[in-house]
Amino acid sequence: MNEPVAGEEIAIEAPTDWSAPEYASLYDEHSRAIFYLTLRFLGDPQKAEDATHDVFLKAFRRLDQFRGEASMRTWLYRIAINHCQNLCQSWQNRNIQANSDNAIWETSPAKTDSPLRALETKELGQRIQKTLDSLSDEYRLLLLLVADEELSYDEIAALVGQSADAVRGKLHRARKAFAAYFETTV
Amino acid sequence: MKQQSKFSENQEHLAAAQTQAQVPKEFASSDELLRFDAAHTTVPPEIGARLKKTSAGIATPPPRPWWRRMFNC
Repeated sequence: MNEPVAGEEIAIEAPTDWSAPEYASLYDEHSRAIFYLTLRFLGDPQKAEDATHDVFLKAFRRLDQFRGEASMRTWLYRIAINHCQNLCQSWQNRNIQANSDNAIWETSPAKTDSPLRALETKELGQRIQKTLDSLSDEYRLLLLLVADEELSYDEIAALVGQSADAVRGKLHRARKAFAAYFETTV
Repeated sequence: MKQQSKFSENQEHLAAAQTQAQVPKEFASSDELLRFDAAHTTVPPEIGARLKKTSAGIATPPPRPWWRRMFNC
């Protein structure tokens, strides 16, 4: 999958100042979605933090290349997916295995959560990560993308470079595999 | 004294019930579960601060010239 390239039309004028509010609002609106994707795809909060930072930095640098043909969310996802896949590829090339026993899987509980609720959310996050880790990269990515209600099947299909029908079929199998494994994590 | 302990017992039940209501035990689908998980994921504030710092030192890219836009290159 290619990263966004220069296109025919510029939908968004790149701000002349990096501290411009356009960047802040872009980050505010999409950072949770991008962080969540990187967190659950990479399975490591520190790596997800770095990846989210790098994705937005890339996006800020290339904002003048945003064509407006896809939504901003889709464009950011494309950068994030490429970034994560490149990271995974380079880890595999270096034969570095993530130590899943030491990885911190949990969803960061909201500051307002009670201790009991925070614990439950953390346990749930661990189970989800364990389940996602058991799936193939393709299934994991599809499940994470479809969980974002802002994305249509067509947009997901474009992001993964497949037809919408193929995505539906694979999602069906991915959901089944997720449910089957998740039950075993109790 | 007994009344007080009953009160605190009630409070505990109430707190437990509220917690159960906040964290659903059953999800209709994996999509719903992942949406719940995403909604409860907080973005570390360090990312925003770091981004501000790193992007501050970078020059803004010049706008693409009109002829590049026109010929799509």
